[in-house]
Amino acid sequence: MRDLYTSELEELEGILREEGKLVDRAIRGALNVLARDDLELADELIAFDDEIDSRYLTIEQRIPSLLARQTPVAGELRLVLAILYINLHLERVADYCVTVAKLAKLAHGLPRDAGVLEALEEMGERCREMLDTGLEYFYARDFTDSQALIDMDRPIDRANRKLIDRLIALGPDEPQREWAMRMMLVSRCLERVGDHAVDIGEQAAYLVRGRFEEFTDASHKTNIK
Amino acid sequence: MTEPIFSLQTSGRLRRRQLISRAMGAGAAGAALLAVAVLAVVVISVAHRGAGALNLDFFTQSQAQGYNPKGGGVLFAIVGSVVLVGIATLIALPLGVLVAVYISELAPPRLARLARVALDITNGIPTIVMGIFVFTMLVEAHGQSAFAGSIALAIIMLPLVARATEEVLLLVPSSLREASLALGVSRWRTTMQVVVPSAIGGILTGTTLAIARAAGETAPLLFLTSLGVNSHADANPFHPLQSLTLVIFEYSEQADPAFQAKAWAAAFVLMCVVLLTSLAAKLALARYRKKLGG
Amino acid sequence: METIRTKIEISGVATPPDARAREAVFEARGVSVFYGDQRAIDDVDIDIYRRLITAIIGPSGCGKSTFIRTLNRMTDLVPSARLTGELRYRGIDLYGPKVDPVEVRRRIGMVFQKPNPFPKSIYDNVAYGLRILGLKKDLDGRVEKALRAAALWDEVKDRLRDSALGLSGGQQQRLCIARAIAVEPEVILLDEPASALDPIATSAIEDLMHELKRDYTLVIVTHNMQQAARVADMTAFFGLDVSPDGSRQGVLVEYDETEKIFTNPSDKRTEGYVTGRFG
Repeated sequence: MRDLYTSELEELEGILREEGKLVDRAIRGALNVLARDDLELADELIAFDDEIDSRYLTIEQRIPSLLARQTPVAGELRLVLAILYINLHLERVADYCVTVAKLAKLAHGLPRDAGVLEALEEMGERCREMLDTGLEYFYARDFTDSQALIDMDRPIDRANRKLIDRLIALGPDEPQREWAMRMMLVSRCLERVGDHAVDIGEQAAYLVRGRFEEFTDASHKTNIK
Repeated sequence: MTEPIFSLQTSGRLRRRQLISRAMGAGAAGAALLAVAVLAVVVISVAHRGAGALNLDFFTQSQAQGYNPKGGGVLFAIVGSVVLVGIATLIALPLGVLVAVYISELAPPRLARLARVALDITNGIPTIVMGIFVFTMLVEAHGQSAFAGSIALAIIMLPLVARATEEVLLLVPSSLREASLALGVSRWRTTMQVVVPSAIGGILTGTTLAIARAAGETAPLLFLTSLGVNSHADANPFHPLQSLTLVIFEYSEQADPAFQAKAWAAAFVLMCVVLLTSLAAKLALARYRKKLGG
Repeated sequence: METIRTKIEISGVATPPDARAREAVFEARGVSVFYGDQRAIDDVDIDIYRRLITAIIGPSGCGKSTFIRTLNRMTDLVPSARLTGELRYRGIDLYGPKVDPVEVRRRIGMVFQKPNPFPKSIYDNVAYGLRILGLKKDLDGRVEKALRAAALWDEVKDRLRDSALGLSGGQQQRLCIARAIAVEPEVILLDEPASALDPIATSAIEDLMHELKRDYTLVIVTHNMQQAARVADMTAFFGLDVSPDGSRQGVLVEYDETEKIFTNPSDKRTEGYVTGRFG
């Protein structure tokens, strides 16, 4: 029953899935730009954001129409809301990737520190993992283990703080300091990407459980089962 | 404008159907016309034959005595008919409605069916037999009276009133009953204050038909009230009273054509009275309906 | 293909937070309704709370109309109907031996799907119950009060003697509500009150229900889920159960706050019904 409606929902979720994959590539792309210090790649990445934006807009436009025409309730209402929020989070992550690329461009030619780059690479990969996990929970409608997501986020926060210490310890020269500041911002971007990945996990939990809970929150440390 | 590929006009098979349809329509109209024509013929011929004897005396003088047709009026016969049918209606109407209420609202299905059958049979009994029955029950012991006549007429009227009422009661939508019951009104009051008033139109129609029938009865009255003297004013139902139908019967038996003319006149009067009663009932109903609107 | 009869375990009877503070007006325990040998409703446990709007939803044939009619003993009108289990109204067994159904219906009023005003004047429709129950003191005042409460007074105050049948469908339904209110019941049952009305009239009735909630307990049967979602505080979902012998009866599948039923129902069958997947 309600075949048209069902296929609309499926299509919407399909677009979200595509967007998720693209965002994953964008994160990897941003990390590559950092590692290789490649200006061309950075420009490519910035242009690539359009792909993500077009899917973001499609979903943004279709959801009000779906809500008005089909009045989803219960599980389907939660699905539509989850899609709405995950869409927003993915778009923000994509924007952070663009920011990282732009920062890399600005940091081009400046003296680099291998240790910092390694740490950033690790942070970035952790973020990819978290995003992938959060989205998987959503697609599978399975949320038995939210602790895993929280566990993944903590190291990122820790790594971010350690990185700052390390950057402060870099040399006093102006180019070094400039590089350090740019990398700090990059680190900040990656830390935010991690937060968005947790938020996506929260949406998956809401969809499955039917009530919304925050796993972590800037002001409180919460222990959620 | 493009050329139409089809025309919407009748053709072939449809045309034949249309002709048949028209023919049937004409046939039905013809039948209706025939029915009206028959009524017209009856009314006109009675009027024609009776009009001659209609004069003021006819209405105001009492019945002719003996064999002298001079001055034979039907005043008291009219009075008698009114009393006879009036009392019969007073008996038959409430009883008929109650019986109908019982059959349609309160009785278990088997009893209801039994009652219906009984009413139908009663309706079919020849009225002369009814007359004999009442004669043996009342007149043998107490002598003739208009009251006895009324009883016989009431028995004749009862099935008509009851059946017509029952039909209309069944037509009252059950949603009205439900509405009343849901207010916490008892079954009985629901029936009397909602269902019966809603059915008043049909009840009135049935009663009018019954009155018309009763007004035209002659045979039972022969046994029960034929000794009505009518040389003086009398409306006492415990005396035998004359009736228009009896007058028609007696006058028409006389050899003198003057009497016969009076018989026709009396028939005409009777017909008019019945017609007027029907009209009055219809008018009353129309006004009542208008008051209710919708 | 064997159909297995599943009995839904409801952990106790749902008591939502603020309803806990309210008393239960109706308490049903193990209520089953039979028409002859046919079981129409099976084993219903439910509490209906005071001055809340409780909606009963479910597919056709699930017994929702039958259930609401047990609440004011209108099922008595069907000769073959009988009820087992216990149904209490404010502590009194509604089907006890000494209980008079007429008295029950005086306290528990009902409004029907198709407006059914009497073929009388507007005034006489509202006054009907009052006159019969002997509440004749200040009849005019009581009629006005009832018509005001039904949000109909302003529209009809100049034509009280006109026939009720001249009103529009929505007005007629409000008149029926006024008629029911006039006899001062404690509960008003509404059996699909707006399904015969256009959307504007429906909205008017829904607004009216919100008003009436202040003074009366309302139970409404509706096949329009959005209406239940808009109007009701508590929602009960009746589903169809198929027995091993193939017969179908209505069962109470889930009963909870409306918000929960429509955002996160506990039972899959409820979810299936409210999302329109299963009829």
